Amino acid sequence: MIVAEGKPVEKILEMLAPYKKVLIAGCRGCVTVCLTGGEKEVGILASQIRMARSKDGNPIEILEQTEERQCDAEYNAKFLENVGKVDAIVSLACGIGIQYLGEKYPLTPIYPGVNTLMLGANIDVGRWEERCFACGDCVLDKTGGICPIARCSKSLLNGPCGGSQFGKCEVSAPVKEDIPCGWQLIYDRLSALGQLDKMSEIIPAKNWLRAKGPRTYVREDLTLDRS
Amino acid sequence: MTKQITNIRIGIYLCDCDGKVSKKVDLNSVKVAIQSKAEFEYIRAVEVACTKAEREQIVAEIDKYSLNRLLVAGCSDPFIVRQFLQLADDKGINRYNVEFVDLSAAESVGAAVSAVDTALNRLHLRAEVGYEELAVIPDVLVIGAGSEAAAAAKAIAKNQPVVQIDNVGTRVIGLDGFPGAFTVILLENGQTVKKDFGAIVLALGAVPQYDKSKYGGVELGADVLSLSQFINAGKDYAGKKVGFALGKADEDSLLSFAAVLKAALDLKEKGASEVSIIYEDMKICADGLEQEYERARKKGVNFLKYTGEFQITRFASGIAFMYREPFLADPAKIVADYIVLAEDFVPAAGTLELAEIFDIRTGPGGFFQKDNVHSLPIRSNRAGIFFVGSCHGPIHGTDLYNEIEAVLAEVSAFAKGKVSVPSLQPKVEAEKCAVCLTCYRCCPHHAIEIVHGEEYNNMYFSAARMNPLACQRCGVCAAECPGKAIQLPLYSDQEILFEVQQPARIVAYACENSGFLASEFAKTLDPELQKDLQIVEVPCSGKIDIIYLLKALENGADGVMLCVCHKENCKFVWGNDRAEQRKVRAQQILNQVGLGERIDFVHVAANQGNQFNTAVKAMAEKIRQSGTNPGKVVK
Repeated sequence: MIVAEGKPVEKILEMLAPYKKVLIAGCRGCVTVCLTGGEKEVGILASQIRMARSKDGNPIEILEQTEERQCDAEYNAKFLENVGKVDAIVSLACGIGIQYLGEKYPLTPIYPGVNTLMLGANIDVGRWEERCFACGDCVLDKTGGICPIARCSKSLLNGPCGGSQFGKCEVSAPVKEDIPCGWQLIYDRLSALGQLDKMSEIIPAKNWLRAKGPRTYVREDLTLDRS
Repeated sequence: MTKQITNIRIGIYLCDCDGKVSKKVDLNSVKVAIQSKAEFEYIRAVEVACTKAEREQIVAEIDKYSLNRLLVAGCSDPFIVRQFLQLADDKGINRYNVEFVDLSAAESVGAAVSAVDTALNRLHLRAEVGYEELAVIPDVLVIGAGSEAAAAAKAIAKNQPVVQIDNVGTRVIGLDGFPGAFTVILLENGQTVKKDFGAIVLALGAVPQYDKSKYGGVELGADVLSLSQFINAGKDYAGKKVGFALGKADEDSLLSFAAVLKAALDLKEKGASEVSIIYEDMKICADGLEQEYERARKKGVNFLKYTGEFQITRFASGIAFMYREPFLADPAKIVADYIVLAEDFVPAAGTLELAEIFDIRTGPGGFFQKDNVHSLPIRSNRAGIFFVGSCHGPIHGTDLYNEIEAVLAEVSAFAKGKVSVPSLQPKVEAEKCAVCLTCYRCCPHHAIEIVHGEEYNNMYFSAARMNPLACQRCGVCAAECPGKAIQLPLYSDQEILFEVQQPARIVAYACENSGFLASEFAKTLDPELQKDLQIVEVPCSGKIDIIYLLKALENGADGVMLCVCHKENCKFVWGNDRAEQRKVRAQQILNQVGLGERIDFVHVAANQGNQFNTAVKAMAEKIRQSGTNPGKVVK
């Protein structure tokens, strides 16, 4: 799942300074699941902004709407009526949704209400951890199913660096906790699987072009001729 | 979304309570004011509503006007509440569609009209509560091998089928399903088998454990026995001297004291030459124990009180306790042929594993059940799973039988194979459900499942569903849902936010198990303080959605309070902890935009009216310092 966090509200207030009527657009996809941009957070942000603007003597009217997925045009069409009523949109979808909703309504300015963080797993309520970098060239077969690109701070391909100490990475996470060394995890898993010989297999340098955008993915067998 | 009922027909009865209300408020003026503004079917002012004649007339009016919801405004006497609920039941009106308003505190026609109007709106917003007929499995699984489990199984077997397992030969390795239809996964002779039960009773008991560190390192041996060794050995002690020591182990229960009294009497009957019991505190506060003690004294058992530590010393003539008597200067000595030492009780093997498999909590000493004033002795955090006996802490004598009776009352609800329950569990609007598992993970009662089917109108064809028998209606799930897909009947967002549309200066969201009761008490202590205060009752503080806090302020309140149960004493495991986390975030949200300190989180028990008022004063002082809420949004 795509994981995002709410943007600091002062930034959002700055973006909205010129406007009197805005739409906060939520998404029922990943950002609802990661508790950042669903109907509930739309309501909370709207309430906070209304109060902030009332306090500043500059009241704002806010419409709230949440639809299935902002990364699909068909769902974005449902915002049409409300977009017509406002000066600007704040989207709480991921970076994809924000841009894609903006493309649908190019004459209305759109602003991000979230920072899109990573592709991660929801470990338990309130905790997400990165698992995939979307590098476009998966090596999980060679590394015991643990990704060295996403889980090693240096994205090393052939074993840990000298910064691996007692199973932890020398880099500390933004949340001030120890990061497990990705290569220690790989070693432990391979060891449990009886595949430690894979550690000595050299993984050749990666084609990072596949990880660089702008990327497009086309399947000729599926594309429709709409002419 | 609360379902809107289109054919709501409300009857309003304004009861004067034999002139009590009209002393301050003219009921006819109230009636006229209501008539001019509100939607309802029928209204009447009554002198005394709780008479037989009135009851008959109201019954006739219900028929005549086809009333299906009732609003009774008058006194708040439990008698009138009971009478109207009974009347509703008799007339086939859903009892959740009867609303009561207390007019005895109303000081003006305006206040009375506003109270009635609020209740009327509540009735309009209320979703219809149906009843569900559910098929349940009458079979009960009793887990445990000892006498407690056997007693429980025997008692339950009179009503319904029982299977008893010892959890050793046949072991529980998994659990699925909900009360009335649990599937227990068992390991039986190396084979995995699944069996279905309606309810599960845990009666693993407790086991004695000798801890030499409590007796200065004394090892057990031929003449030094632990209490359980002594009881199990059942040897002949005729002509012998036996000394028992109590108070160093098993300090919190009566079990050792009771066992020693019984053993001492037995020894005396079988001709032991001397029986002495040294003890620190006499523990005989249970049925029959004091009589046993008196009998033992009459038979010549020595009861000797000690203070501080005692030593166990060997002499040529035997083994002795060297101890200090509280009132004598010199040390005292009891010489015996055998000494018997009390032991601690610890949870039986398998307790922790079962707690994990069943997702039920353990508490002090590793026994089942958290230490929580709201926990009834036999209840776990999951409906349909019960405790009996010492597996939730050592218990003695009649307590066991009381527990068995209580469990019997619970499990016998399933004996007939079907139950009817009000459909009050939260409802999920599938269209909004992202199947994110947040509710599933936050539910303290394991009451939620994810169901799949064409009828679930979302991209996953799936939605969360709350099981009506497992759900305990705390509302934690509804408050956590990121998609606003979950509504708790009688406490929907619409209903609660309606209450704070035009809030008082201070809005207190209060848990009905603590804060709300404290607020009722507080009213009687300092009525003046309540002027600027509005209480919004919630079933658990875990239901207090962050948006409730913000909306109260947005709509003009200056301060918001969350009045919740004491720490670790939430009836619903962690509802108050979730509320506290939400309070912290809501205050951050205010701080980010400079709205000041406006939210207070108050732990308060039902009987703490004074503390409640102190908290209200503190809130008032806080908002006096922060000033009028500048975030109020003028519509």
